[in-house]
Amino acid sequence: MEIIYVLIPIAMVFVTIAIAVFFWAVKSDQYEDLDREGINILFDDDLEKKTEHKSNDDK
Amino acid sequence: MKGEVNNTTHCFHCGELNPSERFFYVMIKDEKKQMCCPGCAAVAQTIVDSGLTSYYDHRSESASKASPLIPEQLTQLAHYDLEQIQEDFVKQTNENLHEITLTIEGITCAACAWLIEKQLRQLPGLQFINVNATLHRVVIRWQKDQLKLSVILTEIHKVGYKAYPFQIDQQEAFYKQQAKSYLRRLGLAGIVSMQVMMFAIALYANFFSTMEAEFIHYFRWVSFILATPVLLYSAQPFYINAWRNLRHRTLGMDIPVSIALLGAYCASAYATITSTGEVYFEAISMFTFLLLLGRLLELRARRKASESSSNLLRLLPAMATLIAVNKESIVAAKTLRKGQIILVKAGETIPIDGTILTGISNIEESMLTGEHLPVHKAENNSVFAGTVNLTSPLTIRVEKTVQHSLIADIIHLQNSAQQNKPQIEVIADRVSRYFVGTLLIVALCTYISWHFIDPTQAFWITLSVLVATCPCALSLATPTALTCATASLNKQGILIKQHHVLETLNKIDHIVFDKTGTLTHGNFVLLNSITHANFNKQQCIDLASQLEKVSEHPIAMAFNKQQKHHVIITDVLNIPGQGLQAIYQGEQLKLGHAQFCNISNVLDSKELVIYLTLSEQLIASFELGDTLRKSAQEISQYCHQQHIETTLLTGDISVKSEQVATQLQLTNMIKGVTPAGKLRHLRTLQASQKILMVGDGINDAPILAGANVSVTLSSGTDIAKNSADVILLGEDLNKIATLRHTAKKTTTIIKQNLAWAIAYNLIIVPLAITGHVAPYIAVLGMSFSSLAVVSNSLRLLK
Repeated sequence: MEIIYVLIPIAMVFVTIAIAVFFWAVKSDQYEDLDREGINILFDDDLEKKTEHKSNDDK
Repeated sequence: MKGEVNNTTHCFHCGELNPSERFFYVMIKDEKKQMCCPGCAAVAQTIVDSGLTSYYDHRSESASKASPLIPEQLTQLAHYDLEQIQEDFVKQTNENLHEITLTIEGITCAACAWLIEKQLRQLPGLQFINVNATLHRVVIRWQKDQLKLSVILTEIHKVGYKAYPFQIDQQEAFYKQQAKSYLRRLGLAGIVSMQVMMFAIALYANFFSTMEAEFIHYFRWVSFILATPVLLYSAQPFYINAWRNLRHRTLGMDIPVSIALLGAYCASAYATITSTGEVYFEAISMFTFLLLLGRLLELRARRKASESSSNLLRLLPAMATLIAVNKESIVAAKTLRKGQIILVKAGETIPIDGTILTGISNIEESMLTGEHLPVHKAENNSVFAGTVNLTSPLTIRVEKTVQHSLIADIIHLQNSAQQNKPQIEVIADRVSRYFVGTLLIVALCTYISWHFIDPTQAFWITLSVLVATCPCALSLATPTALTCATASLNKQGILIKQHHVLETLNKIDHIVFDKTGTLTHGNFVLLNSITHANFNKQQCIDLASQLEKVSEHPIAMAFNKQQKHHVIITDVLNIPGQGLQAIYQGEQLKLGHAQFCNISNVLDSKELVIYLTLSEQLIASFELGDTLRKSAQEISQYCHQQHIETTLLTGDISVKSEQVATQLQLTNMIKGVTPAGKLRHLRTLQASQKILMVGDGINDAPILAGANVSVTLSSGTDIAKNSADVILLGEDLNKIATLRHTAKKTTTIIKQNLAWAIAYNLIIVPLAITGHVAPYIAVLGMSFSSLAVVSNSLRLLK
């Protein structure tokens, strides 16, 4: 049982870290727009650019 | 060319009907997609060229129809680079870094946000961008020497959105800051509560079996250390409120909350240090967490509503075209002085109050009267800031500066009405005042009497009285009910800005309605069309619609979407204030009022009538008017059933008002009143009655702010949304009945909650006073009564 004298303080260090991370997240506006970030992952980030593809055929 | 593409009838970009006579295509992912107009095609092309086609894969809504940027608009955007104009909304964060918040029109889903971010990130000098899809806002930070604001705005326009500079109003900024601080406090309390609960369970176990004293001592110390930040940081708002209450010599719910928190904490700390008595750290943390949760939800709901009424800045244009010594220059509107001369082009909003020097035009003054039908104005007539010059350019002499314009007066009137809003005391305040008073006296008496009976026990018993009486259930009674009701109304499209509304609504005995835009749709529709020659009805409508296509006039809206077949007409001419003319099959086609069309026997109608002639021969006459909303009839019936008095209060002077009032059987009708007059009328009514105001226009803003409860529609102006307590999404006035119904239910639930909390206290207090309540029973009782209150409130969500 004496091990809890070591484990609990370690747990408390982790709690402190968790709180610090949470505060940082709040500070950097991560809770401002909850609708959007969930969808963000769907988008491909590096789609090759097709700039040579000018194609307004109606002209 | 038509054969090889799949010709869909709807625009791939915006989803509107494609025209049948012209074609616009863009290659998207090797497929030819059809667009409805060059605007949409240009936007789609930009999206493809920038490699952002995955926008089309993931969007959940169609985009809004894009209009191509014309060179004139581009130069307009360039004016945003002027220092003078920027200083109102651009924030300089450091030497070279600028920050701006923009509102964006046309954001329909999360994909739009992604699109805008991607598009702008390509710009050199852009430091930071964040698009908020819920609020339709974007925050941008950029390097001043590398990038111009106008370039940013143009890029946004290129992908089909319209961006406007935005000024966050003070209240909203305050909410934002508050919500953040509550979130931090709540997070801390939540994380810590979990830890403390863990140790508390170990300690509870000690009631049933014995634990070694050194572990008990250790657990207590750990809980003590963990609970301290909760008490010092998370619970701060309660102390501040309690202190404010004390200073104003009122008793609020936060006083017993603070006393219980601080008392329990000090006692537990004392018990920990001296290894005596009981500890309550878990109760303190949980209690703080639950209360904070309620407050945060409440704040969120309020913030959401206040954000939906956003962009007041757009009421007035930021710039004006100044004419000095025959030279035109762009200046910031706020720098205009009396006597200066400005030019206002067709379609522009007039920036100041002034007098017309030259020009004749139609001006939309819905801001003043709520009416959308333009007013004809010529030389020497006065015009007002915020009204829109519809048809032709005007030169105007400035009579009043922006700060003294009529619209500034209206805003001022609104602010002062808001401040003088009659306060109705909510039940919880009243109950808690008595309750708190009694509780404090009881606790004091307990302490004094036990001091004589057994001084060593006095403190602990008094503390258990304070913990057992549990201001928890009582303080949760109202906020949980209000939060649940607000959430359920939110789902039904009713946004509540002020919580008191739900209690005040029950006392309402008089509803005041605005006419145009509230009871009616606020725009022209084709009521009736009569044909006079050998053309059938649809042919006439097609002709008229084709003509009206060139017009921006509200009347043109009536013909929108009425056209079935394309008609070829040439040489279309728009004669402002008169009508439209064109050549159809070699003959002259005219559409306009009687005089313009040379009609002698005019149609007898209360509505607006316009005539269509071909070679001076009358072929059709159209009756146009504003129609009542379907829900208007239903809501007026509801008022009759509920014995609520109704009044129609409108700025319109026409006979239409009487017609509406009789049709809906409204009790009173007052017409032709100014914004200030409306407010005066409200004050007289308020002397004896509680008023619910329903309105939508700028001219309604002061009365909305002053009424006991005010409701506006989502189609209303921003300033109306800003001053109203409730915003109805959609156009259904019946939501007022829903709102009132929910309000009634909420009040019942609050009363039940309070009754429960008080009944519980009546049982537990005598036991606690006599020292028969063991600490764990006190804590259990407290948790149980809170749970009962919360679950009762949750019924409102159904």
